[in-house]
Order: sequence, then structure tokens, then C-alpha cells
Amino acid sequence: MNVEVSTAGALSGNELHWLSVAEAAHAISAKELSPVELTRALLERIERLDPRLNAFIRLDADQALATAHAAETEIMAGRRRGLLHGVPVGIKDIIDVAGLPTTCHSKILRDNVAASDAVCVTKLRGAGAIVLGKLSTHEFAIGGPSLDLPWPPARNPWNPDHHPGGSSSGSGSGVAAGLFPMALGTDTGGSVRNPASCCGIVGLKPTYGLVSRRGVFPLSFTLDHVGPMTRTVADNAMMLECLAGHDPLDPGSVAAPPGRYEAALERGVRGLRVGFVRHFHEIDMPADPEVTAALQHVALSLQMAGAELADIVLPSLGEFGAVNRVILQSEAWSIHAPWLRERPGDYGHFARRRLLAGAFMSSGDYVLAQRRRREMIAAVEAVFREVDVLLCASSMDPACRIDHVEDVERTYPRQARTPFNVTGHPALAMMSGLSKAGLPLSVQFVGRYFDEATLFQVARAWEQASGTDRKHPSIG
Amino acid sequence: MDKAAVEILAKRAGLAKALAEFPDDVAAAARQAADVAAKIRPPADGPRAEPWPPMRAGEGL
Repeated sequence: MNVEVSTAGALSGNELHWLSVAEAAHAISAKELSPVELTRALLERIERLDPRLNAFIRLDADQALATAHAAETEIMAGRRRGLLHGVPVGIKDIIDVAGLPTTCHSKILRDNVAASDAVCVTKLRGAGAIVLGKLSTHEFAIGGPSLDLPWPPARNPWNPDHHPGGSSSGSGSGVAAGLFPMALGTDTGGSVRNPASCCGIVGLKPTYGLVSRRGVFPLSFTLDHVGPMTRTVADNAMMLECLAGHDPLDPGSVAAPPGRYEAALERGVRGLRVGFVRHFHEIDMPADPEVTAALQHVALSLQMAGAELADIVLPSLGEFGAVNRVILQSEAWSIHAPWLRERPGDYGHFARRRLLAGAFMSSGDYVLAQRRRREMIAAVEAVFREVDVLLCASSMDPACRIDHVEDVERTYPRQARTPFNVTGHPALAMMSGLSKAGLPLSVQFVGRYFDEATLFQVARAWEQASGTDRKHPSIG
Repeated sequence: MDKAAVEILAKRAGLAKALAEFPDDVAAAARQAADVAAKIRPPADGPRAEPWPPMRAGEGL
């Protein structure tokens, strides 16, 4: 079951938790809403709902309220820090926040207190955001929804018996549940876009190198991305405006021109060439019929709005997935080998199995994967000479039950997100509709390198046509 | 991969403790690695296909 909410009355009612980032920032800037009032409302909601959702590993309520008071003082004095001044944010717990442990949801790093903020956190604070705390993740961003870790796994607010996706599971769960309007996630094989898909929000994996990874615990050096997670497309664009930028101390960072993402939002899709990658969900991994129907609906809706639709063929999902896994597990092994040798029992079952696989990859496997990667990048680049944006599946199934280990294992690889970690192209996942059981279905848009603006343009057009930004779970 | 080969590779990787405490996980990891690596096709461009990213002297540091 879901509710559709108009935020027009939210400022005068008790629904501050459904304010978008843009609405909250505007009201705060106009002195119609106090950051303290907003933060208190969210903290009360977290206290009420998080025992069912487990989005947080560590809530930093006192510091958040202190920051909110400081923001209120600054705003009343006419000093606005930036786009996000006074708006709360949640941070995935593989990202450093000064003074708080970065546990990676693992016993291994339980007491690993960060000395300084990750660059992405520094940037959000610089724009005025208020850090609420650290959010659940799959262990080291690679485990599953494990019950054998020091903290319980996050749950899906559309139905807490179901998986919220991962690995940025607390980020997806909390944004969808109205615990905070924005969060940071990370994406190595789809970990921003999976929870965005399962929880019905907007999740972006930016172009590789657009957002600094410095201060983020690595999983796989050449596949890791930091990305914004929000309830609306406009909010995602706002977050990216604050996060993007060259970091000379991140070896993968790229000096790209500023994106001007918000300016693209209302351009519509008339004349835009959209490539529909049907074989991903029709042949490579046949999707649930509701997922397929929703994707078809998105394609027709964009066509009705003036987009030109063309069928596109890329390498198969099976091979994209294999290349991603060999690279990811080889690079992850090089990070985790010392702990896996000395403390294998301190990992949860899912993470241990997945990380150990890297020990059995050969140098030949890794180099072969990197050689195929180059060809896959060329294949996607060739397609972008014919079309402006790609439309394809994200998850092939709605979220499964979280306690059904076989279903979690079966559905986890049934997705079309890993291709764009392999190639580094920007990719955005969002709601395409709701299943008959009331769970979110999803769609993915993929753009040219550093052309996140076109992704936001097409995603906003779909959001406007479908009203997905006004669909929320009725969790309370 | 047979059990003996898994044990040799695991010990070579320094995983004697994991092998003793979690033999099923080690065996499953070895199987998974072999399965996934076998799914990658040879490069279309044959022996000349270079890996990504290319070596570029003077860049990146």
C-alpha cells in the first residue's frame, strides 16, 4: 500500500518528513522553516520508525541538533552557506565522517573512528547539509542482508519483510521512509541503484571520476563510485551539483566541466534519441512480467512526449556481470587478504564467501577481464554516437523477502546495473511503477560520460509523467 | 576444481585458517571464481587487445 502526498501543506502540517531537499532548502532560505524544527521532526520519526527499519548504525542526534541550531543562527543573520543549508543527510557507513566510526557494518572495523570527513561529506557540509549519522550497508559493501553481524540489516519501508536492496541499504530505506530527504551511497556493482530500485527512490551512479572517493573505504578501485540518493530527480541534481568536482588526491578523479544539472531538468524529451536495450530484460535475464510491462510503459511515455525510440544491442548481461565480478573480487581480495587470512571468522557469511572468491582469481583472469572491459567500453561508446541516452532495466524482480536466503541469492545477480560500473558511464535508477503487491518496480537511464544533465532531463520527464516523486510507503 | 586443488590454492593464498574454520565457504568461493572467470570471452581483437586503462607515461600522479 502507498500514499500519494502533496507537500503544499507540509509546512503547516505534520508532514515535514516528506519535504523534498529543494522544498526544505527553499523554505529554510525564506525563513519559513527552521533547520531545528526540520531536524527535530526527522529525529522523532527516526526514533519511531527506525527500530523496524534499521537504517541507522549510529545516529548522531546531539551533533545534528547542534549543527541545526548553528545553521538557524547563520540563516537568520543572512549567511547562507549553499544549496543544502539546513537540510539533513544520512551517510552510508563506509564513508568517513570525522569523529564517528566507519564500521563498514563489520566486526572487523567496529572501532575504526574516522579522523576527518571524506571529501564528499566535506562538500555536503560546505553546502550547509546537516549530517544525521551513519547508515547500514551490506558488510564492506559486498555482503548480503546478513543476520550474523554486529548490527541488523536494513529493511524495506514498503514492506519491512522485504529486502531494501544493497549495498547502500540504509540509505535507500531511510530516504524512502522519510527519515531524511537525501543520503550518500556507493556503487561498485549497482549498490546505489539497487536500493533505489527496491525502495522506489532516485539513485545516481555518476560518471567514474566525477565525485571524489577519497575517505570512502574501497571495495574495488576501478569500479567504485559515490552517488546521491533522493526522493526526487531535482534533489538528485542538487546533490550532484554540490558533490561533483576534481580532487587531485583521488587517482581516479577527472577535471570535468561543471554540469549545470538543474538547468536541464525541465527541458523535456522532444527530439531526444532514446536507445532501448530490450535484450537485457527480454533475452539475457528474462524479467518479471510486471517489470517488463513497466519498462514498456516508460518507453511509450517518453515516445508520447516526443522522444525518438530505437532498439539498441550491447554485449550480454552475463558477460558484463562476469567482467565486473572478476575485476571486483580480484581488487577486493587485494584489500581484504590480510584480514581474511587472520580473522576470517570476523566476517559475516555473505561477505566472507564473496571476498574469498578473489583468492581464486588468477592474474590471467583479471587481465582478460580488463581487456574485455576495454572492448565493452568501446561498444557502449559506439552506441552513444547513435542515441543520446539509454533506457534499460535496473532490477529484474521486485524486492524479495529479506529472510528468504535462496531468493536473496537468486535475485541479487538478476540486474542490469553492473555494465555501467564496468564502462564508467553515468546511470540513474528510479521507480517505474508499483507491483500488484505494492512494491516498487524500476527503470534505469544511462548517459554519455559526464552528461548527467541529460539523465536528469529524461528522468525528470518520466517523473513528471508518472508522479513517482509523490508516491511514498505508508509506513507511518 | 577438485578438493585437493582448492586446498593447494587456498594454502598458497595464506588461507589455512579459513580453510580449517570455514571449508564450505572456501570451496564455494573457489567454485564461484572458476564459474565466473569461464564466462568471459576472449577479446574480439585477439592478441592485440590491450587492457583498460591504458598505460600513459607522465599522467596520473
